[in-house]
Amino acid sequence: MLPPFGLARPRSVSAALAELDEDSVPYWGGTELLLAMRMGLIRPRQLVDLKGIAELTEVRIEDGELVLGAGLSHDEVARDPLVAEHAPLLAYAEALVGNARVRAQGTIGGNLCFAEPRSDVATVLSALSAEVRLVAADGTDGADGTDGADGTRERRLDMAAFLLGPYWTDRQPDELLVDVRIPLPVTAGVYLKYQTVERPTVGVAAVARGAAGCRLVVGAVGELPAGFDFEDVASVDAEAIAGELEPTPDLTGSILYKRHVTAVFIRRALAELAEKVSAP
Amino acid sequence: MSEHELSEQPLDTEIQTHINGRPIARRVRNRATLAQFLRDDLGLTGTKLSCELQVCGVCSVLVDDRPVSACTYLAVDVDGRQVRTVEGLACNGKLNALQSAFVENFALQCGFCTAGFLMMSTSLLERNPDPSEHEVVEYLDGNICRCTGYEPIVQAVLDAAGRIRAAGTSDD
Repeated sequence: MLPPFGLARPRSVSAALAELDEDSVPYWGGTELLLAMRMGLIRPRQLVDLKGIAELTEVRIEDGELVLGAGLSHDEVARDPLVAEHAPLLAYAEALVGNARVRAQGTIGGNLCFAEPRSDVATVLSALSAEVRLVAADGTDGADGTDGADGTRERRLDMAAFLLGPYWTDRQPDELLVDVRIPLPVTAGVYLKYQTVERPTVGVAAVARGAAGCRLVVGAVGELPAGFDFEDVASVDAEAIAGELEPTPDLTGSILYKRHVTAVFIRRALAELAEKVSAP
Repeated sequence: MSEHELSEQPLDTEIQTHINGRPIARRVRNRATLAQFLRDDLGLTGTKLSCELQVCGVCSVLVDDRPVSACTYLAVDVDGRQVRTVEGLACNGKLNALQSAFVENFALQCGFCTAGFLMMSTSLLERNPDPSEHEVVEYLDGNICRCTGYEPIVQAVLDAAGRIRAAGTSDD
């Protein structure tokens, strides 16, 4: 049984921001939040249902970035034509999240805000050098020089700055994650994961950006996605990277086992990336 | 977490929805799940509850054609939406093509998971009328059956897909 709570249903971002505080929290699909509430880990006074805010489900290209509204479900991201064209890696990974119901209910923004350490989405977005845009109602009238739209302040964080630890992000109680921004173009990308239960044991994402080199991110194994940048795929030492990680031992494997599997998956991911980059 | 007073704020909400095509207007507790609403308020007990973690799939229903876990979906969120449950599949007491295929392929034994499998399969066939065996397995991998070993279920869905295509209609 869930604990009792009030419900706000704002129709705009500014109306939603006016509702947010420590005890009044953003709510969309509930795939993570409702479970945490049922377990008694969080007991908000009010849920702020964001599903009535149309702009949070937009997809567009803006200033050389693919912009994804935080309220897009995993399934919507996986099937979006703009995502398929500009970031097919994300579409591929989103189609593998959880199960078909979780993909229909859960959102890309909610997934990031929950900061589950084994999130496919966070691993892939880290590899794509994505940033999140956080907006809050501005009590200071832009005095800090970070003006957003009227009456709001905003900041942009990359995944490393946003994700602080397991189930812990830098989002402040008055802030709303409004969109995810992926810099374009992406030359090629690969995501490989090993999964025997509901969440992956290891997920490896690798992204090539032409002359800008490649970025490798290992997720699920440790407490946070671990990113590594290289000039070219050939210069990556999979064993050395796996050796640097701090795997979390659990029912899906020991530290030793997870290091081994990680090295195997890094090698496979990079081989696949090299093939994609060299393909005409 | 700070102390807070719940008494100042309403803890329930007026909703209007359609369940299997029938209009329903109710006041529901904000904390009521869709599964509780269907089973306890409306007596639609075809939708089952088990893991309550969105893992087992026995509570699968369709909301505006999307598959959701009714165990982890608030009843207030069906406000203004269309809900379909296993009770809505048969037409005038006659099983639909998917249900018939489940019976004829021995795709159930104890039957506890069946409503969930039927609703997920309905969702699959509506978005992909001609799925491969692999696509059926992938789409149903969030549903657990401890009796059948899954193969008869996959065969039933493929069989139903063939029947529905042959009939030339999308069978609801």
